[in-house]
Amino acid sequence: MRDKKAGIWPYLLVAPALLVVAAVVFVPVGNAVLMSFQSYDLRRPFAIGFIGAGNYSAVFKDTLFWQSVLRTVIWVVFGVGFQFVFGFCLALLLNRDFKGRGAARSVSLIPWVTPGVLIGLMWRWIYDGSYGVLNDILMKIGIIENPVPFLARQDTVFPAVIVTIIWQGIPFFALMLLAGLQGVPAELYEAADIDGANVFGKFFHITVPSLQNTIYVTTLLRIIWVANSVDVIYNMTGGGPAYASQTLSVYVFNKANALNLGYASAMSILLTLMLLLAAVPYLKTLFKIREG
Amino acid sequence: MGKGKRLATRALSFCLPLVLLFGFLIFPFYWIFITSIKPESELYGGTVTYWPKNPTFDAYRALFVDYNFVKPMTNSFIVAASATLLTLFVATLAAYAFSRFRFKGRRPLMIMFLTNNMFPTVLLLIPLYAIMRRLGILYTPLALILSYTTFTIPFSVWLLNGYLSDLPMSLEEAALVDGANRPQAFVRIILPVLVPCLVATGVYIFMNAWNEYTFAVMFTNEKSRTIPVSLRNLIGQLGVQWDLLTAGGIITIIPVCMMFFFAQKRLVEGLTAGAVKG
Amino acid sequence: MKIVKKFLALILMFALCMTIASGCRKKDDESSYDTATGEPIEITHWYWADTQQYSAKMQDIVKEFNQTNGKNIKVTAEEYPWDGGGYSETLFTAAMGGGGPDTASWKLTSTPLFVANNLLAVLDSYINGWKDKDDIDENLYQVMRDAGGSDNIYVMPWNTQVLYVYYRPSMFKDAGVSVPKTYQEFLEACRKLTRDTNGDGKVDVYGFGMRGAKGGQEPWGSFIYARGGDFSDFTTDKAVAGMQDFINLFKNGYVPPTAPTDGFNEIIANFKSGKTAMTIHHIGSSVGMVETLGDDVDAFPFPSGESQWTSMGDTENVIFEACDNKDAAFEWVAYLATGKGQEEWCKATGNVPVSKRVQAMPEFQNNKFMKVSIEGAPSAGIFPILDTTTEWINTIWPNTVAAALAGQKTAAAAMQDLQRGLYGG
Repeated sequence: MRDKKAGIWPYLLVAPALLVVAAVVFVPVGNAVLMSFQSYDLRRPFAIGFIGAGNYSAVFKDTLFWQSVLRTVIWVVFGVGFQFVFGFCLALLLNRDFKGRGAARSVSLIPWVTPGVLIGLMWRWIYDGSYGVLNDILMKIGIIENPVPFLARQDTVFPAVIVTIIWQGIPFFALMLLAGLQGVPAELYEAADIDGANVFGKFFHITVPSLQNTIYVTTLLRIIWVANSVDVIYNMTGGGPAYASQTLSVYVFNKANALNLGYASAMSILLTLMLLLAAVPYLKTLFKIREG
Repeated sequence: MGKGKRLATRALSFCLPLVLLFGFLIFPFYWIFITSIKPESELYGGTVTYWPKNPTFDAYRALFVDYNFVKPMTNSFIVAASATLLTLFVATLAAYAFSRFRFKGRRPLMIMFLTNNMFPTVLLLIPLYAIMRRLGILYTPLALILSYTTFTIPFSVWLLNGYLSDLPMSLEEAALVDGANRPQAFVRIILPVLVPCLVATGVYIFMNAWNEYTFAVMFTNEKSRTIPVSLRNLIGQLGVQWDLLTAGGIITIIPVCMMFFFAQKRLVEGLTAGAVKG
Repeated sequence: MKIVKKFLALILMFALCMTIASGCRKKDDESSYDTATGEPIEITHWYWADTQQYSAKMQDIVKEFNQTNGKNIKVTAEEYPWDGGGYSETLFTAAMGGGGPDTASWKLTSTPLFVANNLLAVLDSYINGWKDKDDIDENLYQVMRDAGGSDNIYVMPWNTQVLYVYYRPSMFKDAGVSVPKTYQEFLEACRKLTRDTNGDGKVDVYGFGMRGAKGGQEPWGSFIYARGGDFSDFTTDKAVAGMQDFINLFKNGYVPPTAPTDGFNEIIANFKSGKTAMTIHHIGSSVGMVETLGDDVDAFPFPSGESQWTSMGDTENVIFEACDNKDAAFEWVAYLATGKGQEEWCKATGNVPVSKRVQAMPEFQNNKFMKVSIEGAPSAGIFPILDTTTEWINTIWPNTVAAALAGQKTAAAAMQDLQRGLYGG
């Protein structure tokens, strides 16, 4: 029963959340928007001043920017795509009844619990060209003859970091979808069994539609999260070698660390706008599902 | 369907993917553990060993005895638990409003929440630090709780809103027709069914707070240090102290997994509780 | 109603956490000092530690200073992660946000940034009135002045490290190589030391452990100078020739294929495990090397070609402008520069002392690595410290050199990028 005339109630309910978020974020974000229109480089504080769209036009001429935009798209599509597929599989597996399910569920969270510093360093260590275990395994089963310096080569470094982000993100989808699966009424499956539906039929005609909202929301949130994630790449490669693993968020991070905040802010705002643009189809479908 | 065939199907559709996925998920963890008990000479030896020839647990002893690793763990726990509870409470209210009421400004508000998380946080650091200082909460757990909450509320509102919208509306309607008011209907009908989703969202918030570094290094000092900062203290200019770092990783991972082991039971309980009443 | 109760319990727990948290804060406030009533003068000091032993050492030094300074100064030292140089950014963010410590450990490269934002205290008047002023070489003060880009001193010297070449005497013997006296002999040694020692057709020992990741600009600088180039203009033919030598080492396979991403960890690990015969680092790693290799490790200064240069690593201390008790703060950084703090720290870390008194102590005179450090000191220098230097070191140098090593950029083109990155235009 959805109220159209709810009066003040919804506002009261939203108020606390809004208050916390607005109190902390409003000023800094507004500040960043202002910075994007200034030559705001803290290394040259005496030269700070408004330059209109100067940062933006410089960003548009920056080939590194466009390369990192393209890389961000690949990063998100492959990263989130595989996280979702594997995460969904894991959720379905963990939803079945078997001995040790509780333990399996908590163990599957490990990638997510692992501190970011350690994720970067550990995977770097696994990929290591001299002492790395991945090279050792691949050589033992005869796929390669000589060790491959995965992170030192420009053609292998980006796939390598994508595998790491996939690894890190599977538990998120598994957990979220597993929770969603609990809300799917069992009667639906029983009815389908009577109709003689097979596994795939049940999956596509019952599971997916019942989880529609959850699927949309989790992928949308994950896209935003992954597009913005810095620490996996930063800890593994810093964006190198030769910028071959630099996504836009890593570029922003590097520029912000160099304290060219005007330029970094302009790129951040463009990143936000791009994400918003990418979210539009999601939002449209979401609002349609719920209200149409 | 024959018994053998059924077993084969089960093996193919269940055991095999489960084993493969778990192998992928757990191997790095195993490697972290192995590294934590390897002496350095073996770490950089000519051959890679899959089980150390001379395992040593010195690093664990050092972490607890010389390094007092319990303190950052307690700090992390206080911060993560508080952020989780605060976020869950505030976000559930908001998500309920978004999913059950149609009001003016609903969509702009939802989109605003979403946009909040699209902006890279590095750029917010200096003003945030100044805000925390002016509020007088710098270097207390409150500073971290507040900043984590700010960034987990929007996601949690959206997640819970997604779950709530997937819940059949009929559950509540029945209660409302029976004369219950909205708060009653929410607490009696919705909340029990929502428990799995609250657990899942709670885990999400907890992890975010547990693993965050950028804010943590700015807003804490020696007294209020959290795990990610303490771990990074182990990487100096003279390299990584692999044994301590990985041992620290292991002892931060295990308690959280154990906590989840107990929490995950709720993932199923919620459904049964709700279904009976629905 | 069970659920409601649980929910309430959770909220209560949360409130409890909050109270505990705010309780902690109150305690902090109470302990703030008041000099008039004889309360100690408190100084907060931030530092990073390269190993846990160093961190413990720092805490010992602080303890001793607090007990012996006789002026009722109480230093509290807080460790912050080095974080691959992120330490300076943390410090900057805190100082810009109006917080941060009274004093902090320091790297010269950050000086222009902090000076431009008026965050550092000018030390000239303190140093001029200081009894130990002459215990530190005038040269070093000049380096400190140059880093700030003015005639003022903002940075208090603490210790330095001179880069030199580590080598494995046993491998030199096996390959029939003697310690290089000239740059050409050094390049020749890189070639001869690259060998297949077990006859499986694969190279298993590389001549030189090249650092291509962040921080690699330091050893790289020696190549540029050896060809007669310098840092005022990277695009001269001589500087480009140095770059070409660097690239050739990689192309010819005289360095491990992982070189573009090899950082400190990797070059040291490769050297210790016998994968490389030579590598460049400073005395800070000598303790670990001797631990692993015993007598089978020695060192020589990076040899001279047309010219000679080696990088001087540095660590200093600064006092912040916002510090309320700069006199007390100076007592503390002076203790680290020439007092007991200097002795203790340099003995524990093996770094080169800045205090002449401490340099003369037998512990430092009898160490073979210290001898090489001191031998290399006359040709030791630092990179031009401009406001662009940090970004240049962190992203521009490693990425440009990686592209050059991969053959995507010629030596000349790479040097032009490096020139633009540092000097603009």
